[in-house]
Amino acid sequence: MSPSIVESLRHFLAGFSQGQREKVIGLTCMEQQELENVFALLLLGSFVGFPAPPTFLAVELLPFMEREMQILGQRAEDACDMLGQMMGTLGVD
Amino acid sequence: MRILFYTGKGGVGKSTMAASTAWQLSRKSRVLIVSLDPAHNLGDIFCVSLNGREKRMNENLLLREVDLHRLSRDYLEREIGVLTRTYSYLQTLNLDRYFSVLKYSPGIEEYALLTSIEETIRQDGADFDTIIFDTPPTGLTLRFLALPQITITWIDRLAQIRRQILDKRHTIQKIRGAATEEEKQREIRLAYDEKDDAVLQRLTALKANYESLTEILQGPGCGVILVFNPDMLSLRESERLVEGLRDIGLPLRLLIQNKVTAENRAVADQVAEELRKMVRDVPLLRVALSTELACGLDSKLYEIPEDLVKPLDWSR
Repeated sequence: MSPSIVESLRHFLAGFSQGQREKVIGLTCMEQQELENVFALLLLGSFVGFPAPPTFLAVELLPFMEREMQILGQRAEDACDMLGQMMGTLGVD
Repeated sequence: MRILFYTGKGGVGKSTMAASTAWQLSRKSRVLIVSLDPAHNLGDIFCVSLNGREKRMNENLLLREVDLHRLSRDYLEREIGVLTRTYSYLQTLNLDRYFSVLKYSPGIEEYALLTSIEETIRQDGADFDTIIFDTPPTGLTLRFLALPQITITWIDRLAQIRRQILDKRHTIQKIRGAATEEEKQREIRLAYDEKDDAVLQRLTALKANYESLTEILQGPGCGVILVFNPDMLSLRESERLVEGLRDIGLPLRLLIQNKVTAENRAVADQVAEELRKMVRDVPLLRVALSTELACGLDSKLYEIPEDLVKPLDWSR
């Protein structure tokens, strides 16, 4: 076999392996994002009217919460089609 | 160093008792008296103008008034500073206006009070033998004294969720394999080690701080003094305060029944008896109502004839 075919095959297998890995961790990623969402919601709930921890605790942690706030905003945007999003993550057509 | 909190219903004479105790103690030791009550009567009792600042009465006695609004504002300004540095790209937005709303949030005032107590204990503890806090009326006092423990409960729950998040991130990292150069540069990979997670680090630091404060407040050097009057309203509120203190584990050291006269003696006995049923091992001190002191314009309100120092010797 010529080196280019071997190289291509190696790339294909690496890509396939990576694809399989991503598929395996898809659900875990979603679970992690949901946990981050819950964390932000618990901490920053007072800002949207939920029972929440003392406000100063939220203010203390706010500087480190950029990612969680982005997820919170994204979840709020996706709220109207949560079922569709779940199906997409679980690979149901 | 001893720390004393004078509490009770509004108008029972907490400030007068705290000021008189400070005055009597200052004859033999160094005393700092701090007024946390927004009503601020401390200056009036000593006939000096404090205006949210401090004044030395004599070599041994320092008076201090805490301006709660200024404390809340300073705290929020500090936090806004941290936020502005962290989210530097948001500087174009009107952050100040957004945060000015925060000062109306429930809890900020209590937090400012607690911070003030903590700073006083840590900064002035070495310079004084006794620190006396004249507290706001019952409701607010119980809320801010309970704050460290409530906060620790929240921190524990939040830290638990945070550890679960880090655990998931670690699993993802293990399956994905080592991060590529591009991922490292774009910071796609998220921190999964507890030492690298800023949120968990901050939670841990806050918890350590509140645990140490709780330890001080519940320790042998700290005590709450309950001031009450010979009337049923005062009794009911005092009962709630005793229960509240019991819930948060703060030690009640002395009961002071203030404004006792020959006319109200029977009610005073009844009220004292009711309260003693709840706290049998706490000493009770009676302070008579002095019409002479209350009427004179130049009277020294802090010069109470009763010995307010001796009953405070719980640890000696």
